[in-house]
Amino acid sequence: MPERINRPKPAEPERKLGEDEGPKNPNLQKPSLPNELLRRMKNIDPDQAKKYRQRSGQ
Amino acid sequence: MNLGLLTGIETEYGLFVEGRTPTDQVEDAAEFVRSHLGPSFVGWNYDHESPRNDLRGFKLERLSVDPEDWKFESGSRVRQSDAAVRSDRVMHNGGRYYNDHGHPEYATPECLDTADLVCHDLAGHATLRHCATQFTERTGRRCKVYKNNTDFHGASYGTHESYLVPRAVGFEALYAAVMPMLVARTILCGAGKACAESGEPCDFQLSQRADFFMESANAETLYRRPIFNTRDEPHADPRKWMRLHVISGDANMNPNATARKVSLMHIALRLAEAGHAPRWPLADPVRAIRQISRDTTRKFETPEGVSAYAILDSYLEAAVQHLDLCSRGREALDEIARVMNWVRSLDDQAIGAVDWVAKEYLLRAFSGDLDGRAVDLAYCDLDRDEGLYYGLAAAGMVPDLDDLVELTEAPPTRAAWRALALERWPEAVRAVTWSSLTLAVGSGEIEVALPPDIAAPPNPESILSVEDFITELERCNA
Repeated sequence: MPERINRPKPAEPERKLGEDEGPKNPNLQKPSLPNELLRRMKNIDPDQAKKYRQRSGQ
Repeated sequence: MNLGLLTGIETEYGLFVEGRTPTDQVEDAAEFVRSHLGPSFVGWNYDHESPRNDLRGFKLERLSVDPEDWKFESGSRVRQSDAAVRSDRVMHNGGRYYNDHGHPEYATPECLDTADLVCHDLAGHATLRHCATQFTERTGRRCKVYKNNTDFHGASYGTHESYLVPRAVGFEALYAAVMPMLVARTILCGAGKACAESGEPCDFQLSQRADFFMESANAETLYRRPIFNTRDEPHADPRKWMRLHVISGDANMNPNATARKVSLMHIALRLAEAGHAPRWPLADPVRAIRQISRDTTRKFETPEGVSAYAILDSYLEAAVQHLDLCSRGREALDEIARVMNWVRSLDDQAIGAVDWVAKEYLLRAFSGDLDGRAVDLAYCDLDRDEGLYYGLAAAGMVPDLDDLVELTEAPPTRAAWRALALERWPEAVRAVTWSSLTLAVGSGEIEVALPPDIAAPPNPESILSVEDFITELERCNA
């Protein structure tokens, strides 16, 4: 059965401390945004992803 | 689409409470669920649950836990009873709402129709929003609710789909039919994610969950997660039924993506049952889904060079050839083919249909201004005034069906019986499971079965008492 095949197991994701830099974004043309999206963008907490920590779920 | 497969979706939401840590999260999530003020029943019966049974015919001694997460558990300051921690509620629409490992989890009632299922998934949004307001009023703590599957620091939480399948299909046929679909549907149903949390670094990928799959198939859900989950817990007669418990899908903000991911699974499952599922043996499904998730070339190929487009095309062709599709079923297939063409041709119309495409659009737009992960989180923010998905909706770029949802009406399945009992005779309901109700009758109690293939009560207005309810249920079960 497929699950019985022995192969190297990938590592579990590493826990990070939240201090790493954010990603570079896809190298595609930057679109212009509707005003409503720009308004919401200004309200985004730039550090939210660093502060956001969760328990492992299912 | 309705191919006659009883289906539900359970979503564990991300909960951020200002000033609190993961150690507080179980306590916070319990308080959050208890903030629900609408009608609900407390008294879920766990006796019938068996998460360690495996579809392959054995039982695990124990389920694995995440050792990093266990550190939070051992640091918890508050000790409550299991019932208080779970804070389980049965909703009057037949669904369930509870605290699962520190996440408010909304489980839809069982639906046969995909449109019903999407509405009930959206009812979860409304429930969570309502609780967020109440939670802040009760505790004074500001909170955020995210419909996503990762915290970007290595913790993941799931959006699970449950599909009831005849046991006669068998594990081997089910696995062969479903695995290629679970891998390939990522290109149409992935929610998108900034960054990677394991393996090769990347700036953006299609799937929230791909980084967390370690094995092709097993019964785990918390650690060493599989693409194909083998938990055997049918919530129905196990001699007749098995439940495919899909844990590899993403939480979708776009309701059409939710419908698409379920429709694709219905196609795969019905083809498995009919013996006509396309054969795509994947040597290493974990590597395949990770590779497809990170493919910046947009060819979306497995390591053996098979494209996800080819896999999906083969299922659509087999469905047309071998399944008895109604007009809505054919429309669903047309929508899937149309969206696949948009993705393949980089057509901007895909922004309105596929979450990862919409998220990538926002990441491009915000490039250089913000941490991409903050944009990712904002996309999944359930706050209608702040969330970026709802910003896209306000601009007419994605569908917004949240306001159209009827929150209380159960779907016409066994959930309608559960809902009817809770609405009419709440004082008589002693315990609830997915497959039964325990009711007080006279001086005693009786547990009545809710088989998965029972239809909704034909004349609910004629059922005037608990005794009538039991008689009518037994008549319909006969």
